[in-house]
Amino acid sequence: MTAAKKRIEVDYLARVEGETSIAVELDGEPAIKLKIFEPPRFFEGFLQGRKYDEVGDIVSRICGICPVSHMTTAIQAVENAMEVKVSEQTRILRQVMCLSQISASHLVHLYMLAMPDYCGCAGILDMRNGFNKQIKRLVEIKDVMNRLTGLIGGRALHPVTHVPGGFTAVPPRGSFESVLKDLEAIRPRAGEVVEDVSRLALPQFHSNSEYVALACDGGMAVNGGRIVSTKGLDAAAGDYKQIFEESQVDYAFAKKSALRKGSSFMVGALARLNNNFDKLQDRTKKLAQRIGFTVPSDNPFHNNIAQSLEIVDNIERCIGMIGSNRFEEEDFYVEPRAGDGASVTEAPRGLLFHRYEINAKGVVEKADIVTPTSHNFQNIEKDLKKLVRENRNSGREHIRLLCEQLVRAYDPCFSCSVH
Amino acid sequence: MNKKTKKPKIGIFKYSCCAGCEFQLIFFQKYVMEVFEAVEITYCKMLQSSGKEQGPFDVALIEGAVTQQWQADQLKQVRSVSRRLIPIGSCAVCGGVPAIKNTRQECTVQEAVYGDTSVIHSVKAHPVDHYVKVDGYIRGCPMGLRDLNEMVTSLLLEKRPDFVEYCVCVECKLKGNICVLAAYGQPCMGPVTNAGCGALCPSHNRACYGCWGPMKDANARALADLFETLRLSRQDINRLFTGFAQPAVQWKSGQVQ
Repeated sequence: MTAAKKRIEVDYLARVEGETSIAVELDGEPAIKLKIFEPPRFFEGFLQGRKYDEVGDIVSRICGICPVSHMTTAIQAVENAMEVKVSEQTRILRQVMCLSQISASHLVHLYMLAMPDYCGCAGILDMRNGFNKQIKRLVEIKDVMNRLTGLIGGRALHPVTHVPGGFTAVPPRGSFESVLKDLEAIRPRAGEVVEDVSRLALPQFHSNSEYVALACDGGMAVNGGRIVSTKGLDAAAGDYKQIFEESQVDYAFAKKSALRKGSSFMVGALARLNNNFDKLQDRTKKLAQRIGFTVPSDNPFHNNIAQSLEIVDNIERCIGMIGSNRFEEEDFYVEPRAGDGASVTEAPRGLLFHRYEINAKGVVEKADIVTPTSHNFQNIEKDLKKLVRENRNSGREHIRLLCEQLVRAYDPCFSCSVH
Repeated sequence: MNKKTKKPKIGIFKYSCCAGCEFQLIFFQKYVMEVFEAVEITYCKMLQSSGKEQGPFDVALIEGAVTQQWQADQLKQVRSVSRRLIPIGSCAVCGGVPAIKNTRQECTVQEAVYGDTSVIHSVKAHPVDHYVKVDGYIRGCPMGLRDLNEMVTSLLLEKRPDFVEYCVCVECKLKGNICVLAAYGQPCMGPVTNAGCGALCPSHNRACYGCWGPMKDANARALADLFETLRLSRQDINRLFTGFAQPAVQWKSGQVQ
């Protein structure tokens, strides 16, 4: 008589962006499949034939939580293809917009998607009993971050002012000054986020992964830089296609990205901190020290802590950039021309790649998009396997919870990953 | 029994989209917690791990375009257990960005993305009302907070919601904007696009690109003709009328080839 195969199946994982299930086979060597069933929307297919100036507005709709990142990466790729130069002010405004969006995204992930697991709640609605202070912090900080993104973009979700060449409108100084006051006011709140996260009972786990992020001189890289890793990778962003390759799997609509040598890697807040910790603001470093967080960390659950530190860091950097610059309306003119251009940026969840081939009429002939969750896909499965192997003697419910917590710690976005 | 103690049950379903409307809803900006005190979210995968998709629901909110057969099947099931069903956001209301793919052969877009298309079973993108009867629309990309507020308040007051049903030009005039179409010759979709955004793009020096989808009595043909006089190519005009509402009948006459 043979025993029935032992398996754990999470049919439709809750509290993540998009749709996936997790299948775990417990017999023998654990087998793991992240079955991402988010339906394909074929952005790379229908972008063919669209105009260069629509691309940013269209790809923004890949994701409702990181629209600014898709938009910025695409617009930069289009500008690279058409050899458009932008002003220093445009670069700064893009950076402020991206940093505020990253913080808002991290807040949603930490409080609404990840934290309920550690509070024994099904969701944030249940957290109202007992965690009201935390919810208040989330609402307060996210409101300011969204207002900052919206101030520059016209709206925080799917901004409208951001087009190839620059911004169609720049808000008056007074609006920046008022948001600057709000940013100053939430600085202490952001420190409390770090403390909230540091108090979570994050599982102890070591993954021995390669951590990939962008790096540049002078500060934390956001919208450009070199691609580096904790295992010695150091390449120009333009060489992206020589470093990574993407392949289709038969059980998921998302493609899986790997380094050319075949190995998996992790991108996102933890990867950024593992590579660039010394570039953090002093206040962020002090907070990290206070909660006892050190790099390099190979515990993927620490991605939560890294995100909380980035919220603090991003607020400091936004204050710095808004405080030390005077923004004004700028004229710019973009002429379509044939070319092939790519851009790599740091989205909230990590490395994001867009590439476009554009013809002389400014029409897209080919589009290629690789998202952070495609980059992390193989590493999530690798970590799940190790986690299940190390905990195989625990109860099934415990294993299931651990698996869910691990996937959530990566802050995956399955809508992005399929696109 | 006090009627007010019974909170309306709300189910939220996501199909093919960016999930931005769900973020707009579950975050509801500053009012989020007040709203959640007044209603009961009984199904929403992104929000909570508990919850039953079987219903019944006082209101089912549907996000995203329908691009898979299973979505259409589930949608019909949800309709049968819901007192009201309302599509939220352009994808669910009029096809949105996912419906741009309808301008090409399904197999062409599939092959552009996947090497092995034997595992891909997508169908043309359709809005929710293509498959089931709906009880109003919350438009926008992402959906507008004014109409969302109106929906929630109407639900609590048991009144019929009064959604915005006029074009972007009205909001532009109310704001005192200079018309970017008449004054600068920019191809503005405002005259045929449903309002609610507060004339966002023209207020930021650019032409409306139609992200809220058609208003109901849009004269798409007249606007397409006007665009031709602005020396836009037929392809450019077609792109404007297929960017956010390819399947919508109101914009068909603007979709010249």
